Amino acid sequence: MSDIVIETRGLTKTFGTQRALDGVDLKVSRGAIGLLGPNGAGKSTFMKCLLQLLPISSGSAQLLGREVGAEGRDIRKRVGYSPEQNCHIPGMVGCEYVTYCAQLSGLPFQAARQRAHEMLDFVGMGQERYRKIDTYSTGMKQRLKLSQAIVHDPELVFLDEPTNGLDPKGQEQILELVSDLWRRYGITVVLSSHLLHDVERICEQIIIIARGRVLVHDTLENLKARRRGSAEVVVADRHGEVLAAFQRRQWPCELLSNGRLKVEHQQASLNPLISLLDELRIPPLEIIPSPNALEETFVQALEMSSN
Amino acid sequence: MPLVDTHYQHWDGIHCGLWTRRWVIASNGLTACLRNKFLRNVVVATWSLSLAMVGALFVIGQLLVPDSLLVRWVSTLNTDLQGFANYLMNWLKDHPEISVRTTQDVLFYYFAILLMPFSIFAVGMAIPFLVTRDLASNAIIIYSSKAITRGDYLLGKFASVFGLLSLLWFGPVCAAWFFGNLLAPDWRFFWHARIPLFHVAVFGIVAMTTLSILALGVSSVSQKDKSTVAFWLVWWLLGFPLANIAAHTRPWLAHLSFAYDINQIALATFGLGKDLRIAQDNIPILGMMLRNIPQRTMDSFNNPPLFGSLVALALMLGAAGLVIHKRVRP
Repeated sequence: MSDIVIETRGLTKTFGTQRALDGVDLKVSRGAIGLLGPNGAGKSTFMKCLLQLLPISSGSAQLLGREVGAEGRDIRKRVGYSPEQNCHIPGMVGCEYVTYCAQLSGLPFQAARQRAHEMLDFVGMGQERYRKIDTYSTGMKQRLKLSQAIVHDPELVFLDEPTNGLDPKGQEQILELVSDLWRRYGITVVLSSHLLHDVERICEQIIIIARGRVLVHDTLENLKARRRGSAEVVVADRHGEVLAAFQRRQWPCELLSNGRLKVEHQQASLNPLISLLDELRIPPLEIIPSPNALEETFVQALEMSSN
Repeated sequence: MPLVDTHYQHWDGIHCGLWTRRWVIASNGLTACLRNKFLRNVVVATWSLSLAMVGALFVIGQLLVPDSLLVRWVSTLNTDLQGFANYLMNWLKDHPEISVRTTQDVLFYYFAILLMPFSIFAVGMAIPFLVTRDLASNAIIIYSSKAITRGDYLLGKFASVFGLLSLLWFGPVCAAWFFGNLLAPDWRFFWHARIPLFHVAVFGIVAMTTLSILALGVSSVSQKDKSTVAFWLVWWLLGFPLANIAAHTRPWLAHLSFAYDINQIALATFGLGKDLRIAQDNIPILGMMLRNIPQRTMDSFNNPPLFGSLVALALMLGAAGLVIHKRVRP
């Protein structure tokens, strides 16, 4: 099994004179992948081109080692997709809908029905699965979309803004489920979102797209390493004492409203910071390295692209 | 401990083939149509008419059996009637090709045409379940993201409406043919009635294919149920006044009605003009009655404007294909 799940060469998609994707070259390996970008950046278009929901204008793409365009059916048998907008089939009840989606992916009826109930259990839907989808709340519809995307046990699943319109608790639950898909069950997840926090929490690889171009493609770890030199420190008390010590070292610092101390220690590793706290005999409760690395990278990438 | 295992489990079964997936779309579409109570009533109505047709064929068949209940009953009425019945029986025995083939050809033509308005009306009711609602709810995206193509989706939807028409139209006609001949006094009825069955099959397949594609086209016109249903019904109903206007002004106007064009194909397929001529010349009593048909009507039976109808239907199918191509996409 190849480690590369997505490979594109000069992938371009135009709508009239507008270039939604402009020569995208990518090689993405298995894992949890975050697709970031502002609204209208081309994230959804990128996913739709890979799934052949939109025809590619020029360039080529491979998904799971197969050429997109030539082997569409076979590719989609191994790929799941949860679109951003609601797209249920009117008049159907939840479990019937997921069963139908499984059958469309090639599962025999008995297996499809069993899988549908398993997936609805997995996403935490109870008896409401026997209700018509038209009566579902936004949260239920998001869960249903997720279950239909994974009901056929795909190797790769595309999730387009899966937490849109959810309350914080609902967001938390959906992110937990999505996180489990890769970490526990080995399904590669491509999560498209404009919410940095969601992506940072789940994803190991980050792709930042803006104006139809890939600005950044790297692991989250590497992005954080690039932004080394800042940290957030959580201490139980003696905040003033710690701040004073930082200032003596001429490290810019501040006390955040959440009680954490933000410090720009400007060092490649956290060791000097830990040594200082040790000298002060103040045990840190938590040290978060490069807490805003993704946000800063994102903003910087956008600025570069607009320049 | 939870009652159900909520962990994700992998599936390593064998996938179904492409035709199974197309069949799933077709059966789902047909099931959605038949959830409509009104449509179910139309199905019951057409099958009731089929039963009546079987009854009519049974009566005709009984006339060939000398000691049948029907003949015995007729003979109790009047000796003259008994004589007539015997004459008719002997004639039918001597001319089975005409008595069975021609009679059934004429009967099945009228039966197929009788069921056509039911079918067109039912298709109108089913139109929202074809493409319209999938466009409105974006379900077309879900279909496109599964292991099927747009062609598979359309083929499945086509099979849905074709299946509905088979249930409403072709099924009752074929069942009437089968049971009508099964209840006949002689197995040779099946053989003599092979040509009417062939005509039914040819006309049925052509008409149902045409109607199914037109219905898919109309269903793709809009995302609103009311618009597509109204489009279909208005187009169909406008055909009646158009045919009348065309008869007195410009004949080509009639070809704007798909029902008229399908009717012309039926006339040409069944060869109704030829059948009526044979009946007029050979069948006792009925032939005499048929001689009263006006010459102008006979002319229209003898020479239906088949070419014009085929061209008109081809243009309509082309337009439907264009609409489907433009509209049915994620």
